[in-house]
Amino acid sequence: MTAIDVRELVVARGDFRLGPLSLAIASGSRTALIGPSGAGKTTLLRCIAGLDTPSGGDVAFDGASLFVGAQGAIAPNRRGIGFVFQRGALWPHMTALEHLRFVAPDLSREAALAGLARVGLDAAMAGRRPAALSGGEGQRLALARALATGPRVLLLDEPLASVDQDLRDELAQLVRGLAEEDGLTLVVVTHEREEALALADELAVLRGGRVIEHGPALELLQAPRTAHTAAFLSGATCFAAVPGANGSLQTPLGAVPRPVGEGPWSLVVLPDDLVACEADQEACVSARVLRCEPGLGGFRVYAYIAGRSVVFGSSAARAVGEDVRLALRAAPRVLGLDGEGAQR
Amino acid sequence: MSTRVGRLWLAVATAFVVAFVGLPLGFMLREVVWDGEALNLGPLGEILAEEHDRTRLLVSLALGLGATACAVALGLGYAFLTFRTDLPAGRALAPLGVLPLVLPPILVAMAFADLVPTQGFAACALLLGLCNAPFVAVLASRGLRAVRGEAYEAALLARGRGAAERWLLRAIAPEVLAGALFAFALVISEHGVPEFLTVKGKTWHTYAEGIFAKWTRRATGVDHEALASPIVAALPLVAILALALFVALRLRARATIEGDHRPLPVRALGRWRWPALALPGIYLGAGVLLPIVVMARWAAGSTDAGGALSLERFAASFRLAGSEAAGDLGTTLAVGAGTTVVLLFVGLPLAWTAARRWARIDALAILPIAVPAILLGIGLVRVYNRDLFFAFYDHGALLVAAYAARFLPFCVLTLSSAVRRVPAELEEAASFAQRGPFVRSLRVHLPLYAPALVSVACLVSVLALRELDLAVVLPAGNGTVVRRLSNIVHFGGEDMGGALALLLLLAALVVPLFARIVSGRKLRSVS
Repeated sequence: MTAIDVRELVVARGDFRLGPLSLAIASGSRTALIGPSGAGKTTLLRCIAGLDTPSGGDVAFDGASLFVGAQGAIAPNRRGIGFVFQRGALWPHMTALEHLRFVAPDLSREAALAGLARVGLDAAMAGRRPAALSGGEGQRLALARALATGPRVLLLDEPLASVDQDLRDELAQLVRGLAEEDGLTLVVVTHEREEALALADELAVLRGGRVIEHGPALELLQAPRTAHTAAFLSGATCFAAVPGANGSLQTPLGAVPRPVGEGPWSLVVLPDDLVACEADQEACVSARVLRCEPGLGGFRVYAYIAGRSVVFGSSAARAVGEDVRLALRAAPRVLGLDGEGAQR
Repeated sequence: MSTRVGRLWLAVATAFVVAFVGLPLGFMLREVVWDGEALNLGPLGEILAEEHDRTRLLVSLALGLGATACAVALGLGYAFLTFRTDLPAGRALAPLGVLPLVLPPILVAMAFADLVPTQGFAACALLLGLCNAPFVAVLASRGLRAVRGEAYEAALLARGRGAAERWLLRAIAPEVLAGALFAFALVISEHGVPEFLTVKGKTWHTYAEGIFAKWTRRATGVDHEALASPIVAALPLVAILALALFVALRLRARATIEGDHRPLPVRALGRWRWPALALPGIYLGAGVLLPIVVMARWAAGSTDAGGALSLERFAASFRLAGSEAAGDLGTTLAVGAGTTVVLLFVGLPLAWTAARRWARIDALAILPIAVPAILLGIGLVRVYNRDLFFAFYDHGALLVAAYAARFLPFCVLTLSSAVRRVPAELEEAASFAQRGPFVRSLRVHLPLYAPALVSVACLVSVLALRELDLAVVLPAGNGTVVRRLSNIVHFGGEDMGGALALLLLLAALVVPLFARIVSGRKLRSVS
């Protein structure tokens, strides 16, 4: 069942434009809105929350419209959502306990303490103000506050960005566990692949105010449908593929078969798609070594091909500036630049 | 503000601005270009047409520059020494830099005139510079607070002490210049002190005096040009003031104090540590202590020919003030309190909108202070001195509204600056609470802005207690203490005046001290 249905949403503000954008988020799913800065992730999340009003389109929760209707836009506190802000947005003059009891006035002291305990804040911290909490504790409090009203949907705006690396996994586990426990639909905004994968099972990739791909995280990682998704999620290198002779596409790595459909096309090379080959072998291209890092199973070598950086594995160390010959390990992967809302 | 209540509140605030700033100024403009029958731009041709107008404008500009130089020397020196160095008691002295603002400039002038002959141009510039130095001191302190200690240390490591200090001065220059422009604007629009010095034998006149003189003469005017002349005469001054304040505002906006950062390292004064106390001594001594001492001497009978100072006389002066001017003191305090309440109510939604939605409100908000107070007062007279509004016109409520309109820029600029420093997410987070808009405002928004609101309340209540120019024009102003004090110039009665002035100062100090004690915070947001 669809919990959140974004329909032809448009937000126009000065030079910035989001949409028209449609996205269906299933009930009980955990979805990450991922994309580079300025892609419109946070704006989309804020429209879902009711903090921003779209110029057009609608958002529906369980089939009920939030913006279109006789009563106008539904207020954020009547949408049944919890929101975790990037830097917590904790109120400096309230204690941890007061935060929970303010957003949920019916909450007893005991229930509020239990709510804090769920996120790992003990009774001793209940009387502390945000200034007396660490970054991780502050973000736990922000999470407890968001859950205190008993939401159906939990929205998180880069929730791990302000937390130390060693606390990120712990917090991500906590968020996932609580979402599962309460049967929440979870939507998280991030521009970091690791954060998205730690919190979500589904990814919606945004670029230039549009969803260019949406589907299960594993599928998007292993078989991206667009060059941008491959580059953003997997660190792939994309080479321009221009029409050549015999209906093929010409790339810096040689001619590749042209797929069905409209271009423009890119040859997408994922890390470790390339392998070093012998100098006299055909279908190899020259590359110049930029950097060589030792790893557990050998070396990771960064090299330049046609002005783009690629990565390949090597059993032997390579000298910086050395010329190497590289070939594709598997069949070439040719993708469109972006897929106009590609769904799986 | 996005709720229905918020929009209604903003609408009420806007209506207030229209009624007490827009309408008076609109009426004045109409009076200039409309002669009762047709459009007549003739009076505009009179702008600076007369030789003495041009001379007066030049005198005003020279006085403004002289006084501003004095304000910068005193204010910047005070801020630098108390904030940046290991001056003895520097931390305690720093917040006192705002104190000279508590005293009406006319009172300071009267105090100086009591001790030394005070009539020349230099004396007037020094007096006005001293009275307006707090603008430079407060904004220079703000600039020093905004500088990151690491940035100064980087300059120190790279180029040495002298270069680092020059870098620091450049870093705070926009704030200092903003303070200087505020001081300049207030000096050239000041009417009370130059007029008082005229009584003491001054032979030159300022442009603001000229405007007031034209206004008092206009009762004898019959044609459109004569009636419009004081308004037309004010236009060049308005233009200069608006420009100075607009630039000051832009400069002030450059330094934003972002969260907590390492402050500037304290600079050791070495053997100059104790001698350096002389500058704060002069600043506070001349700007605050000396006028208080003179007022105390007046109350003790110093102006009686041959009479000796006595405590009995001192007590008698206070008794006399109590019996004869208790009503004036009550009116003044009520007007001060009313102005503060009205201004906070009107200023908060405007400041919030300026900070979160429409930054141009900041620029528009300077209008009431760019227009000389006399002119705003004349405009209010033109709008409300009619049968329909006569009860209101004659009542202290108009004085409250006029003061609130006049001090609106201080309120809006201070509060909008405070709102900008509070991340919008803190307000947005409250919108998910299962609470109504009123409780959300009371429990979340209000505490976030409380320090700035307290600072504004202190500043505005003090300014309202000392405002003279509007009190001169509006009928209810006759019942204020500051008006009675200015009458001493003409009619005598220094003993009771001294007692009244001391009571006024006490009242002006009670509000900030009370706020400081109750809140336990430094009143910093005033900048």
